[in-house]
Amino acid sequence: MDRRKFLGVGLAAFVAIVVPGTDLRAVDFRTTMPQAWEVEKTVDGIKALYGSGALKESPKLSFKAPKLAENGGSIPITIKSSLDLESVALFQDANPRCLSCVFSVPVGAIIDYDFRIKMRQTAVVTIVGKERGTGTLYTASKEIDVSIGGCGG
Amino acid sequence: MAKMKIKAKEKNGIVKVKAMFTSLMADKEEAIKKGISPSYIRYIVAKVKDAVVYEVTMSGFMSENPLVKFEFKGNKGDQLTFTTIDNDNKTETDTQKIK
Repeated sequence: MDRRKFLGVGLAAFVAIVVPGTDLRAVDFRTTMPQAWEVEKTVDGIKALYGSGALKESPKLSFKAPKLAENGGSIPITIKSSLDLESVALFQDANPRCLSCVFSVPVGAIIDYDFRIKMRQTAVVTIVGKERGTGTLYTASKEIDVSIGGCGG
Repeated sequence: MAKMKIKAKEKNGIVKVKAMFTSLMADKEEAIKKGISPSYIRYIVAKVKDAVVYEVTMSGFMSENPLVKFEFKGNKGDQLTFTTIDNDNKTETDTQKIK
């Protein structure tokens, strides 16, 4: 299975702990992949969650975010995609742990998720989506400026 | 403790959902700064007729009182059930009819 292959290429120690072939419905990533939530850097976080497959940029996976966030405590993000993804994750470098949230997408769902995140400082936000079946990883990233003190500019 | 507000509206076969959850979303560092114990929702799932329509696992780096919006294909009159699990494994459930 692709999922196993991905994990196999990833960190060996990580593979040993993760139970392969997890059912993709009702996945609580906190319990199935506790390591991914402790990683600090985005690059390592993607490896921990999805393995070290090649990341592809695609216009079909995109997200909306303000260029300049006036309030680092609440940054609106909208993820949109027309791809058939099985999961989408958001990483950022601003906080002590990079993983903000992981969506597991049910079959046939519309990917249009709107939510808010916290960021302590200016950093790059990366979104990674895994396609259902093929396991191809798609990515999109953007730098978000967070102004300290709540004043724009 | 944690309350939720759910709004679900159907139009042309697509249900638009807005949901707000009450939580401080304080992760370890923030909890220390504020002098409270960590408290955040780590898992939200929404179901219609036992089929998962929305599912997210998150860390404490979502905003306070997380507000989520999403869409799915559904029918009027169905029951939409939200379940959240916080960092102490406390579960909260709420149900709302799709209008």
